Amino acid sequence: MRRLRAGLISFAHMHAYSYARVLKELPNVEFVAIADDDKARGEEACRRYGVKRFYEDFREMFKREELDFVVITSENAKHHDQAVEAAENGVHILCEKPIATSLRDADDMIRRARKAGVKFQTCFVMRYSDVVLRVKELLDSGELGRLMAITATNHGKCPGGWFVDKELAGGGTIMDHTVHVADLMRWFTGSEASKVYAEMGINIRKQLTVEDNALIMLSFRNGVQASIDPSWSRPDSFPIWGDVYMELLGSDGRLMLDGFRQVVYSSNVKGGPTWVHHYWGCDVDYEMVSHFVKCITEDLEPRATGFDGRQALEIALAAYKSIEEGKPVELPLL
Amino acid sequence: MPEVGVGERLKTVVVGYGFIGRVHSERWSKIDEVKLTAVVDIVPERAREAAETYRCNAYTSLSEALDREKPDIVDICTPTYTHKQLVLEALNAHTNVVCEKPLALSLQDCREIIKAAKESGMKFMVAHCLRFFPDYSTVKRLVEGGEVGEPRIARAYRLSAKPGWATWYLNQDKSGGVIVDLAIHDVDFLRWLFADEVSRVYAQALKPRDVKAQTHAQVLLKFRKGYIAFVEASWSMPDGFPFTTYFEVAGTDGIVLLDSRASTPLTIHRRGGVEELSPVDRDGYLLELQHFARCVLEDKTPMVPGEEAVKTLEVCFAAVESSLTGEPVNLPLEEV
Repeated sequence: MRRLRAGLISFAHMHAYSYARVLKELPNVEFVAIADDDKARGEEACRRYGVKRFYEDFREMFKREELDFVVITSENAKHHDQAVEAAENGVHILCEKPIATSLRDADDMIRRARKAGVKFQTCFVMRYSDVVLRVKELLDSGELGRLMAITATNHGKCPGGWFVDKELAGGGTIMDHTVHVADLMRWFTGSEASKVYAEMGINIRKQLTVEDNALIMLSFRNGVQASIDPSWSRPDSFPIWGDVYMELLGSDGRLMLDGFRQVVYSSNVKGGPTWVHHYWGCDVDYEMVSHFVKCITEDLEPRATGFDGRQALEIALAAYKSIEEGKPVELPLL
Repeated sequence: MPEVGVGERLKTVVVGYGFIGRVHSERWSKIDEVKLTAVVDIVPERAREAAETYRCNAYTSLSEALDREKPDIVDICTPTYTHKQLVLEALNAHTNVVCEKPLALSLQDCREIIKAAKESGMKFMVAHCLRFFPDYSTVKRLVEGGEVGEPRIARAYRLSAKPGWATWYLNQDKSGGVIVDLAIHDVDFLRWLFADEVSRVYAQALKPRDVKAQTHAQVLLKFRKGYIAFVEASWSMPDGFPFTTYFEVAGTDGIVLLDSRASTPLTIHRRGGVEELSPVDRDGYLLELQHFARCVLEDKTPMVPGEEAVKTLEVCFAAVESSLTGEPVNLPLEEV
């Protein structure tokens, strides 16, 4: 069995650690190189995952290594140049969400990957959740009738760091937390958003220069009405990181999905008066990375493509536009 | 105001013995300060049923009850579209009046009622029960105590199966639809919690083809202080769906949330079904009606006078308008 040679660019996004773990776990993958513009962080990761070669410059990595695929987990605004470089070198791309910070960048990434004939997958890990898959099957079976309304939340704590730097992240909580559930809405409805309205709140954290709470309303072309709460509204003291929660209303039934409820609770005398939640549900990162590898070896279409990444990004960008203009925004934006 | 001596109880008449009339009658019967003396319902059997249950008098018209009972309190529990006429009649007979929410179906009707209440000098309250519910008033207490710091963003759900107990709910002209009848609870609670007014509202609502009312709504509120809130209200849940409420508010220092699904202490499994109960005898309805009785006895202003109720309704009317036009609506609405 030939092992696929994998590289990873940047541990800026915390998901990189989980993807790196999976790269080490997969028997048909050889995790050969890490590139990171933060030298100390990258070298530390090399030691942690037993990766032999480190590059400060990702271009150098593509030049020196014969990679089959690369995982891009850098700051959002850096995805574009790195993905383009990967495509130029004929390397398949697994790119963290949001795909980019502008539609122009996203379109360019998709075009170049297509031209180079490489796979491009956006890291919409929720499409690999067993709970979400059950929902998708149920909807497709028609058991809930015609889908009419969706309410979703993707709450979180404030991740800080570059996530609150508009230059690098492209925005705040809207950019960070809209796309996962927006993607699931597109997947579930099989339709595209036609209209977006959003309101931004006053920041919970006064020191931030990007938004940390907002509410988004959407209409889909097939008539489904939806809402998204993408807010970093959970305090640091909150017992869990946040949630992916969806209510789906069909003409013949209703469904509630709470993606991370599969937990064991513990409480410890040293921890103060609180519960600690220990998640035991499916490992979405493992499922996604291993499926992407399968897409390469068996020439399959990734479950969430670059186009899916772009469409979800468009919803987040439409929310910003709506807030700026104080009125509903029609899609497509371009 | 009627003279009430020591040891005397306020004579109370409930008008309308439907869903909320039954709830209120049962609570009035438990309040020491009050004597439920009569129940009015245009359906004679229903009035008789109430009379037998509470050993009180039965009437089929309010006029007759006002005439014979000379009540201190009249509690209007009829369908929304009948409120104005009955409230005005009761006020006119110089009784104190508590009226079930929503007060009325137009701002003009609300203003007429408020004017009449003011001129009568009687106590008048709209029964926005959520302000008295122990779980919601705990949220209010915590937020006032600084648990979340300065509030920033809230969300509320109020999800129900189709109201099977009466047909008028599913007629937009008679109930106002799911926003005016159901989302109103959370809109009112949010106004009270934030001590602020809504400046802009955007809403989406579903009206099934075979139903004459909106039955599922998503409402986005922006308050003057900049706080934002999402409110969802539904009568579109499948039959047998357990009534579900959820509320959370996050602020600069923390978060407070309540979830009816997670706070049910009693689950009963019987052959063929599950029943989940959260019993509390001194519930929001009892506390609300007792509060009104005490306002009457102690000459105090009730928690939700007509002026408060109309502000909540204005937001709901604006939300309905937004759901129909697809555009955000700014508040306050223009005077018609």
